Amino acid sequence: MTGLDSSNVSSTTAGGQPPAATPVSKIAPPVTPKLSIWEWVKENLFSSPFNCGLTVVTTVILLAIFRGLLAFIFNPVRQWNGVATNLRLMMTRAYPEEQYVRIWVCVAVILILTSLSMAIWHAGSALSVSEVGRKLLTTGTILVLFALLAPFSTAATMLWLLVALVVLGFAEFLRRSSRGLEGQTISTLTLLVLTLSGLVASLWVIPYGHHSYIPKRDPRVLAEPGTVALSTKLPWTLMLVIAVVAYFTGRALRDRLPANATRITLIVLWLLAPPALLYLVLRDPAFDMNHVATTDLPIFAAYAIGGTALLSWLTRPSTGELGRIVSAIILLAGFCSFLTPMRMIVRIDMLALAIFALAAPTFSGGPRAQKRYVASWIGLLGVMSWLITAINTPSTVSVPGGFFIGGMSITLMVAVFTLVISFPLGIALALARTSSMPIFRLLATWFIEFVRGIPLITILIFFSIMVPLFLPRGMHLGEVAAVIIGYVLFSSAYLAENVRGGLQSITRGQQEAADAVGMTSAQKTLFIVLPQALRVSIPPLVGHCIGVFKETSLLAIIGVFDILYIGRIVIPGQTEFMGSTKENVLFVSLIYWIFAYQMSKASQRLEQRTGLGER
Amino acid sequence: MKSKFLRLLALFLTIGVVAASCGSDSDDAAPATTAAPATTAAMATTTAQVEVVADGSLLDTVQARGTLNCGVSGSAVAFSETQADGSVTGIDADFCRAVAAAVLGDAGAVNFVALTASERFTAVQTGDVDVLMRNTTWTQSRDSSVGMDFGPTTYFDGQQLMARVSDGFSASSQVSDVDGAVVCTNVGTTTEKNIAEAALLAGAEITLLGFETSDEVYETFIAGGCDITTTDGSALVGRKVKQQPADQEWVIFPATPISKEPLGPTYGQNDSAWADAVNWTVYAMIIMDEYGITSADVDAACASAEAEVGRLCGGEGELQTGMGLPADAFHQVIRQVGNYSEVYNRNLNPVGLYREGSANAGWLDGGLIYAPPAR
Repeated sequence: MTGLDSSNVSSTTAGGQPPAATPVSKIAPPVTPKLSIWEWVKENLFSSPFNCGLTVVTTVILLAIFRGLLAFIFNPVRQWNGVATNLRLMMTRAYPEEQYVRIWVCVAVILILTSLSMAIWHAGSALSVSEVGRKLLTTGTILVLFALLAPFSTAATMLWLLVALVVLGFAEFLRRSSRGLEGQTISTLTLLVLTLSGLVASLWVIPYGHHSYIPKRDPRVLAEPGTVALSTKLPWTLMLVIAVVAYFTGRALRDRLPANATRITLIVLWLLAPPALLYLVLRDPAFDMNHVATTDLPIFAAYAIGGTALLSWLTRPSTGELGRIVSAIILLAGFCSFLTPMRMIVRIDMLALAIFALAAPTFSGGPRAQKRYVASWIGLLGVMSWLITAINTPSTVSVPGGFFIGGMSITLMVAVFTLVISFPLGIALALARTSSMPIFRLLATWFIEFVRGIPLITILIFFSIMVPLFLPRGMHLGEVAAVIIGYVLFSSAYLAENVRGGLQSITRGQQEAADAVGMTSAQKTLFIVLPQALRVSIPPLVGHCIGVFKETSLLAIIGVFDILYIGRIVIPGQTEFMGSTKENVLFVSLIYWIFAYQMSKASQRLEQRTGLGER
Repeated sequence: MKSKFLRLLALFLTIGVVAASCGSDSDDAAPATTAAPATTAAMATTTAQVEVVADGSLLDTVQARGTLNCGVSGSAVAFSETQADGSVTGIDADFCRAVAAAVLGDAGAVNFVALTASERFTAVQTGDVDVLMRNTTWTQSRDSSVGMDFGPTTYFDGQQLMARVSDGFSASSQVSDVDGAVVCTNVGTTTEKNIAEAALLAGAEITLLGFETSDEVYETFIAGGCDITTTDGSALVGRKVKQQPADQEWVIFPATPISKEPLGPTYGQNDSAWADAVNWTVYAMIIMDEYGITSADVDAACASAEAEVGRLCGGEGELQTGMGLPADAFHQVIRQVGNYSEVYNRNLNPVGLYREGSANAGWLDGGLIYAPPAR
């Protein structure tokens, strides 16, 4: 319950507004005197001669930069049509048109999960009307600057000035009228939906981008202008509706379902979403049902039944030392299975079972705990078998080119998979490096120091160009898979050091206290040390996430068609849009910025929620 | 403490014993097909089905697979461009399609693999691509030590220079005229080396400015940051057509390029059956062009064909079947892709490159495009 309370409080403070009704236990924050705009300007920008000079110089420099940027963007020489036309190429590369509904399904699933999470975790905050007015005032001022500085014709300048004045007038109206209604607030989510609706509505009004070439006979005849807008306006409208509906469903469910179970389900769904969407939806595997029935299902059944029996025996408190020996033998057998020919799924399942068996004594307890443990084994086994079967069946989506997606999709895919895989790996490395067992400590230290000593680009070139030469004949490692392995190695080494920083901030007393109440070392690590260590490492971890996301642009160097490669090399390589590198790169950097900025905002919220820097 | 140590020791001994025992029954000949997809499984990419045709020609492998993996650049104007919908167009792409039409009977059965300059030869060696149509210059070292074989040249390119007429240059200018000029080019390419050598031979002193991408080179050239820009003639013509500002006039010289850049299909060495299939696809397109038979009238021409055209159409003799291709292989090439002229004009005319008067004219018109007789 405390989590709920603090989240409520932090969500109100997030907007910068003093909480209206403070809980009794909290001390009211100090009241800052309210200043008018002119008083604020005088106080902060022109308080001393030096400050005056600084303000003037900075303003002039900023305006010059702004003007230069606008002059660049609105120069008639710029081929912005190259960006508009190639939006689809930048997002998904050559994904076939007739299969495009799959992309929309993925977008919808992600939007539904986002909306549900927003509802369940009480995202968004309330803004008072006067605050909205103030924000609009800023927007209006920027619009005025925009109208005056951009190299427009007089008529266009006047039109933009008019728009700016309307916005300013509305903002002033809101500010003035808000005096009477102090308690009135607007949710930031409402504003978000309004903004998105505006964007989607613009698709219906402004047709842009003529994406579809007629490839067969005469490849240089362009299709109708406006195809990008025409082909996306209906799906995007649908997506918006889906997101809003999902949000309200989530809100309705929030009060009826147990909070913890709902949150855990959502987190599991989030973790399952990337592989499931990528391998089951985007790839559309063609299942060989005969093979599934004769091979995959029996293997699953054998491991489910055998594992259940084994784990229920192991979680019995009376099993004792014999259990550990059996688990160790299974682990060894799992490793040895790599030396003999057999199906990969058998080996992976055996290794997973060994890990479950080794951890079993920690989870032993009453019959309820036992049942839960066995159920989680069967659940994991099911998901794993399902994914492995799906991955090993051929795709029905055929595209010209190596991988079935490209552009922004591959940037996101590499970033997400790298982070999801390297997080547990990095934490394990950090624990190993701080462990008292010399083998683990040495191996982890060597690995981390070795990987950190090599530039990322070297690792990527090694994995993309040299590893294929080393593999035995007949074995094949796809370029994207190779790249992800390289990224994971690199990222986990850095992540381990970030987590280790957090681990070292946990005082000895915490561990001793855990020992005193009789926790096993696994429990101590899982429930006492790691949660505190991870909370401390949030800022560096988020910095790392942003870094990994941006470093995916190095894919461009080894020739994977990520969004930067497409913008920098491929689009300027089209006869139609020769010499349009600058426009494309500016657009691509805008996209990178949007994502990175959202991540950093999310980390700020997370820090506030966990009370980092306050407690 | 002591018992813990003993237990640890025992554990290591067990590990050692079991590892040793199961090390002995390791099997190097483990079926690659079970191991391979699973290795990729961790993060699988395309389901790379592994086909191993022991000691066979790539020709059999490609025919068994049903698709042709063709290595292209994917970002070379007019040679292989990736279009907004992801399709690949250009003269290189069309030659890929032609090979697919000949070997598989379907010009659409091409899987285009976009390669960077540094990974193109590795891709051939690892078998990722069957043939390379990636504006690759035929050189002695690539033909020998790199382990490539080269097919007939499909485009004769050569490095030239481009300058502004206002600076006193004309189409008849020579390299010796550029004395004292600032020359822009891409860094780390052979173009840089070629111009330096040519200037040295001509006794001209030049200042070289290197840039990472071609676009930067031309931005600087347009802005006046350099007097001259140099790269392959085909690229210069394209840039001139597309990017010459209204207030400037550019000129390309010297008429005889300062380097030879013969571009054509490239494949792994010592595979004659595959080399023949690729080479004769190109030759058939050239021969059909000599007879003036295009994709539009090839069906009619083949129906009543005699002599060489008849043989290429598959009407008589076993010329195609003898080399492992379907009898109507080249008929399909012309029908689905077109003859050499069609392919050339379709892709290169829009960027201002024409066959007439260039090295890429037919041998009867004074060019270098020539094919051995089909008989």
